[in-house]
Amino acid sequence: MSAAEKPSGLGKYLIIYLCMMAIPALEVVIAYQNIAGSQKLLGMLSLAIIEALLVVLFFMHLAAEKRSFVLFVAVFTLFVLATINYGWTDSFRLLVGAPFAK
Amino acid sequence: MSQADLAVGGHTPAMEPSPFAIPAKKLAMWLFIISDIMTFAACLVAYGFLRNATPDWPRPFHSSTVISVMVMTFILVSSSLTILLGVRAAKTDDRPTAFRWTFITVAGGVIFVLLHIRDWAGMIGQGVTLFKNPWGTSLFGAAYFSVTGLELLHVIAGLIALIIVGLGYRRCRYSSDDIENCGLFWQFINIVWMFVVPLVYLLNVAN
Repeated sequence: MSAAEKPSGLGKYLIIYLCMMAIPALEVVIAYQNIAGSQKLLGMLSLAIIEALLVVLFFMHLAAEKRSFVLFVAVFTLFVLATINYGWTDSFRLLVGAPFAK
Repeated sequence: MSQADLAVGGHTPAMEPSPFAIPAKKLAMWLFIISDIMTFAACLVAYGFLRNATPDWPRPFHSSTVISVMVMTFILVSSSLTILLGVRAAKTDDRPTAFRWTFITVAGGVIFVLLHIRDWAGMIGQGVTLFKNPWGTSLFGAAYFSVTGLELLHVIAGLIALIIVGLGYRRCRYSSDDIENCGLFWQFINIVWMFVVPLVYLLNVAN
C-alpha cells in the first residue's frame, strides 16, 4: 500500500478473508474423499495456490503496486519454483526402483 | 561526493529514483520474502520427494489433529486480517488503533505457537523423534519436524519483529512503513502455512 493511497472500504478484505477461511475447509473435505492421492494433491495444491494469490494480491497489496514490480516478483518467484521442481522425476524413479541415468 | 555537497547552493540533492517507485525498506522486505520462498520451496519439495519415494510413508494424523490444525489455520488467517487492519490504521497515522491491531495479531500468533508446540508434544508422546518413530519409516520424524519447525521458527521471528516494531511505533521510533514491512512478513508466514497444511497434515490423514 503506497503512502499516498487512501485505504478503501473493508468489504473487499472481509470477502477475501471469508474465502481464505473456506479454502482450508474445502481442503479437509478433499482429504476425506475416497480418491487417488495424486487427485487429492492436485486439488489441495490448486486451492492453496488460489489462497496464496489472494493473500499476495490483496493482503500484501501487490495488485496495487506498479506493473514492473509485479512482473519482477512474479518472474523471480515462478523461476525459482519451476527450477526447484525439476527434481521430482527422480522421486518416481526411486519409487519404482529404476536405475539412475549414467 | 556526499549528498550534503550536492545540496550546496540551494540545489536539490541528486538522488537516484527508488526502484519500482517503492521505499527501499519495502523492496528489501520483498527481496527477503522471495529468498525465503526459495528456502520453503526447497524444504517442501524435499519433503514431497521423500513422501513420494517412500511407499510406506506413515499416516499418523487423526481427526483430533486435523481439528487442531484447522483451529491453528483459523487463528493464522484471522491474524492476517488483523495485521492488515493494523497497517491500514498506521497508514492513516492512527497510532493507538494500529498498535491495538498489531498486538491482537501478536496474541493470535502466540496462541498459534502454543497450539503448534502442543501438536509437537502429542507427536513426541507417540514416540516420534527426529530419527525414529513407531511406524518404521525413519525419515518421517526428520521431515515432519523440519518443515513444521521452519514454519514455527518464522512465526516466532515474526512475533518478535511485531512486538519490537509495534512498541517502537507507539513511541514514534518507527514509522507506518515499518509496520507495513512486518505485515508483509506476517502475510508471507500465512501463505507458507497454506502449503504446509495440505502437504504435511491433510495428505497423511489416517484412514
